[in-house]
Amino acid sequence: MDLEQILKYAPLLLEGLKVTIIISTAGILLSIVTGAVLVAMQRSGIRPLAVIVRIYTEIILGIPILVLLYVIYFVLPDIGLRLSELAAGLLTLTLYYSPYMAEIMRGAIDAIPSGQLEAARSVGMSRLQAARRITVPQALGLIIPPLTGISIGLVKDSAILSIISVHEFAFETKQVVARTYAPFEFWTFAAICYWTILFVWENGMRSLERRVTRYREAR
Amino acid sequence: MFNLDLFYESVPILASAAIVTVELTVCSVILSLLFGTISVMLQLSKIPGGYWLSRTYVSIMRGTPLLVQLFVVFFGLPLLGIKGQAFLAAAVAIGLNSGAYTTEILRAAVQNVPEGQIEAARAMGMSTRQIWFRVILPQAFVVSLPALTSEFTIVLKSTPLASVVAVTELTYAGVVIQARAFSAVEIFLPIAVGYVLIALSFTQVSRWLERRFRLLHT
Repeated sequence: MDLEQILKYAPLLLEGLKVTIIISTAGILLSIVTGAVLVAMQRSGIRPLAVIVRIYTEIILGIPILVLLYVIYFVLPDIGLRLSELAAGLLTLTLYYSPYMAEIMRGAIDAIPSGQLEAARSVGMSRLQAARRITVPQALGLIIPPLTGISIGLVKDSAILSIISVHEFAFETKQVVARTYAPFEFWTFAAICYWTILFVWENGMRSLERRVTRYREAR
Repeated sequence: MFNLDLFYESVPILASAAIVTVELTVCSVILSLLFGTISVMLQLSKIPGGYWLSRTYVSIMRGTPLLVQLFVVFFGLPLLGIKGQAFLAAAVAIGLNSGAYTTEILRAAVQNVPEGQIEAARAMGMSTRQIWFRVILPQAFVVSLPALTSEFTIVLKSTPLASVVAVTELTYAGVVIQARAFSAVEIFLPIAVGYVLIALSFTQVSRWLERRFRLLHT
């Protein structure tokens, strides 16, 4: 691998890496929020809302993310909604990953027996106290491992946004390849970068999980 | 707003592109099973360095985007003397990627085969290879059928990425028509329906396999 060339194009690649990190972080946060809305709709007790969530989830699970990206990028302008590449990309990641996030939250909520909350209330804890001391600490331990997996998927899928020219890492790599014609070297380099970031992320989340589940050992 | 003429015109083109999608999925699935089986055998048999090799493979495949893997394979194959094979590159890349997940699925199933069976097989004089191919793997595949099915629907959903190395599958065919016709709903609606239908037929095949093997095992 030609190290000199990589160093030469490092600033451009770094710029792309920054966009990848920003758009992934935004995508993770937005899909968590949207996922929470989906859970709330499903648990609202209003039938039509629950049905809408189910249909939406089925559709998303059934189509490839690239098709969703094209629908947002090509079909929405037909009905008068023209988004920038970045906005279309972020919307795609959010819409695609929110059902997965909803599933994680649903699982965590269901795993905590309602009796615990009732017990906490009956020993005189306020709602907020019960949430802070009983629900959240347990839910975090249940949410972090699947959240890590899903968020890794999201970061990897953010590379797909290069297809509609979002200036993220894969896009900048493609630009550099077009200029240097050293595709194998630069794509391998890109793979190493993604792998390193996700390795750090995965291990960080694992130690975070160990921290928030310390209560399990204290029993 | 919905142009029916364009719809009728594009459906036959999309149908033939859907065949490419199915072919690519099937080839990738076969490669995924092959890579997954080799990798799980490396990981769980006592070949020196095998465990480490398999873990590294799984970690790399799960830690990098498929898009990047596609480019690495597409531009890497010519270095091995295989030139201009976009379909092959796509199938190999998707197969390698999915193989990592297949490894994890099979590993859980292999570890669930009761130790007693392996001891019994050994006591009957079976070689390690015979034990793998006649005792462990057949059971592991049957047990992991449901998990493998959902993994292979994911494979189906990752085939549109093959368009980046110029394989004209279902999604890319749609983009080409769309660029000519300047209209999108009529094209992307049948595409989305197409994926759902293909996925449903895969699930049916897997259900059928499941019934068949359950019958044999009870």
